[in-house]
Amino acid sequence: MSTESIEVSGVVTSANETSDVSVVTTPHTDQRTDGPAMGQRILDVRNFSIDYGWGEGAVRAVNNVDLHLNRSTVLGIAGESGSGKSTLVYGFTRLLRSPGVIVGGEALFNLGPSEDGTDNIIDLVTASEKELRSVRWSNISVVLQSALSALNPVLRVGTQFEQVLKTHRRDMSKADRRARTVELLALVGLNEDRLRRYPHELSGGQRQRVMIALALALDPELVIMDEPTTALDVVTQREIISKLYELRSRFGFAMIFITHDLSLLVELADEIVVMYAGAMVERASAQALYDTPRHPYTLGLLNSFPPMHGVRTELTGIPGSPPDLTDLPTGCNFHPRCPYAMDRCLKESPRLEELGEDGRSVACWLHSGDEGVVVPVELRRTGRGKREPIPMPVKEDVS
Amino acid sequence: MSDVTDLSEVIAGTVQLRARHLTRHFTTRTPGRGFNVKHIVRAVDDVSVDLVAGEVVAVVGESGSGKSVLARMLARIVRPTAGDLILRGTQIPRKAKRSLAYASQVQLVLQDPFSSMNPVHKMRHNLVRPLLIHGAKREDVEALAEAALTRVSLEPPSRFLDRYPHELSGGQLQRVSIARALCVEPRVLLADEPISMLDVSVRLGVLNLLRGLCDNDDLAILYITHDIASARYIADEVIVMYAGQVVEHSRGTVLVDEPTHPYTQLLIASVPDPADPTSVGAPTAEQVQMVIAEKGCRFNPRCPFVMDRCRVEEPPEFIVGENHTSRCWLHADKPQFEVEVALPQRRGGGEITKT
Repeated sequence: MSTESIEVSGVVTSANETSDVSVVTTPHTDQRTDGPAMGQRILDVRNFSIDYGWGEGAVRAVNNVDLHLNRSTVLGIAGESGSGKSTLVYGFTRLLRSPGVIVGGEALFNLGPSEDGTDNIIDLVTASEKELRSVRWSNISVVLQSALSALNPVLRVGTQFEQVLKTHRRDMSKADRRARTVELLALVGLNEDRLRRYPHELSGGQRQRVMIALALALDPELVIMDEPTTALDVVTQREIISKLYELRSRFGFAMIFITHDLSLLVELADEIVVMYAGAMVERASAQALYDTPRHPYTLGLLNSFPPMHGVRTELTGIPGSPPDLTDLPTGCNFHPRCPYAMDRCLKESPRLEELGEDGRSVACWLHSGDEGVVVPVELRRTGRGKREPIPMPVKEDVS
Repeated sequence: MSDVTDLSEVIAGTVQLRARHLTRHFTTRTPGRGFNVKHIVRAVDDVSVDLVAGEVVAVVGESGSGKSVLARMLARIVRPTAGDLILRGTQIPRKAKRSLAYASQVQLVLQDPFSSMNPVHKMRHNLVRPLLIHGAKREDVEALAEAALTRVSLEPPSRFLDRYPHELSGGQLQRVSIARALCVEPRVLLADEPISMLDVSVRLGVLNLLRGLCDNDDLAILYITHDIASARYIADEVIVMYAGQVVEHSRGTVLVDEPTHPYTQLLIASVPDPADPTSVGAPTAEQVQMVIAEKGCRFNPRCPFVMDRCRVEEPPEFIVGENHTSRCWLHADKPQFEVEVALPQRRGGGEITKT
């Protein structure tokens, strides 16, 4: 895991004209705050914003996002390419490369109870390189999308495990390290003889399993998966997912799973966040999101999967293309593709509001409760058991 | 193979590209102790397929099943070890070089639109170049390029012609590469995993586009994928490949709804199905690892129903229903007919009904 220097600005300049969200200047006080006990909460990201570039040309890639995650739970982040899901995660883990700049927000990580009983909390945004180094891999680890480019191509698989353990666990003897490596490979169902292999000698699924084993090497409390199955075919994907499921119930780490495949998340995650153009548009428990989507974009995503059962009907998916972040539409970012767009959506950008249904939030004017706004029936369903895609009106003139 | 030449005139109307017993073996050498160990990889073994105007044939299989090699042989980029290609009734000599005339009839669309476009040139160059190569007049090419973009719903085309590949989204770029394949007016389109690199939200758009081209312009399409759900959505005929062989084959999507081969069942179980979270029945490690048996059925090391016979004898294709075959010994006790009789029941007629 790289440790390049990252620009952290305490001073916030709202450079992005198109963004109507006034960014709150985050007070950076003590680096290690013995604040309120976080309890079961392991990660609390607040008002997080990231720009690419500086000054006039800055592009807001992540806009005022709040995330929180409890111990041993799985949070799914879904969205199209360019929706800011990976940028967000690289931002709060401080792996973001220049020209990415964190322009606001805090990311509190709970290191567990300290000696006096209060929670030992670190703000990852303001933490020093030294502090980050102690947290990375031991507490937070990352599995990257492309295992072939994440593994060192000129080192044997065994050497790469050896180096991680040697760097982070100074007290381990050579025999211990070897034993631990074999144990880790066994966890992901790989034979010991893979240790002598180079990454290019392994299949895509095996490489990804090596990455997962590496991520678990130091028993982290939080594992971040950045599209770990996107390059794999469905059978291998299924196997990786069930492996992760098994490992998580065994070791109880929390997981953030990033993907553009919402159907996968519904199976795997406890809670799902849907992102669009750098902002969160809906947050709900996995089952609720699937059964009763509230945001038109979520509904569109759910309608984008050809079903395996039932009659073949033509599906529409979501018309148009993901927005260009340098040229965002006025008002709600989704309105050019939204079949329900109203006048208000063209002018004002909706904020993420609680819906009053069991921890669900949505950013859509349809749910503002305003007079005269009728929520379409497909976005106010209740109950379970959706099997067929819910029909959605077709949006015309989208290029 | 006599039926092919006899009926060539009849076939010319509907079957655009016919492949018979296509086979491709690759020889690899692994350095051993003092000598090289020679291996033969049977990438594609005796695969026959008919691409018919106005129909989509889907080929489903995981990585390494030989589906891309099949597409490349049909595009004549890879030369077959054995087997015949018949393009609109004309047999293509196996040793002949790939000709421009063939390429203008059979076009290939690749998986990754980002790497299949020249990144330093605008869309105009990327579209005009194939047109000029295929003999379009220089004064017409602009109009032809615009027409091709309109055909794939990139409108107005003038907005896209002056863009560079990095300025377009993946979905738009894949549409441009389909437009590029279409601008030489081919009869057959080979689409090698055209949606697997795209965002979920734009995948359906590309699938609907392919289906539309097939229905409106009578194009014959070969759609290659590892996602059996998308095959079910678009295809008129589905072929499941494993280790270079066709293991299950059906008209319509019968094999998705009622899979008879254990490998098809594994593929279907692997598709995430949020409607049925209880389906998270994970395949075992043996089932997942791509092991190809040297002897007997190639799927036997991964098969949950493996019998003694599977380890010794390779199964032939058994008829399991109307226009539905399965290469599995489990179906050996079903009443058998000639395979050729049951399969080709084409829409629009003009087909072999050998009795």
